[in-house]
Amino acid sequence: MERISFVLASDSLEKMHAVGLIASVAAVSQMEVNVFVTMNAVTAFRKSTVEKKGFKVDGEIGRHLLEKGGPMFYDLLQQGKMMGTLKVYACAMALELVGEKLDQFVPVFDEVLGVAGFLGKAEGGQVLFV
Amino acid sequence: MAEDTGVKIDEIVDGRGLFCPGPLMELIKTIQLKPVGTVLSVLSTDEGSAKDIPTWIQKVGQEYLKTEKKDGYWEVIVKKVK
Repeated sequence: MERISFVLASDSLEKMHAVGLIASVAAVSQMEVNVFVTMNAVTAFRKSTVEKKGFKVDGEIGRHLLEKGGPMFYDLLQQGKMMGTLKVYACAMALELVGEKLDQFVPVFDEVLGVAGFLGKAEGGQVLFV
Repeated sequence: MAEDTGVKIDEIVDGRGLFCPGPLMELIKTIQLKPVGTVLSVLSTDEGSAKDIPTWIQKVGQEYLKTEKKDGYWEVIVKKVK
């Protein structure tokens, strides 16, 4: 099975949405997909951020994404998980820095992982850094 | 009688009004539940999906029949062959 892995480090709504789109379509197209959520991207998955849609918007497209009320990045990832082989990992270091556990985040994560763990999952496939 | 250009549609997946990749996801949800041999018609107002769906069909080894431009939307027809 072809493998593609994303390092999602940005908390820009547009970038996160692009990862959600590509990752979910890859997952339903017979690819094995890993998404490693790290750095500020982690904060966008917080339940409190999601509830108030307090995302960092870079520009016009991001504003439309919020106004039109379509599926958000976490919905797309969830879809990919349900319909294909897609795993979402939360960066252990980022979680430690903010002092929070997975239960404070939307339930899209499969597990908390360190860099070595992620590299193991991504081995042999393409890795995209966003 | 007009030339028969149509195929018999067993199932319509109405993805009109959904953003990309909504229509594709709706197709996948439906196609999984249907028996081999089912002919599905996916309706999409999203042009990207109208182009994506045939690519997906070929990638996963289903049979792509055709795409038709309708009034304000596209219809993509696929046959489940496995």
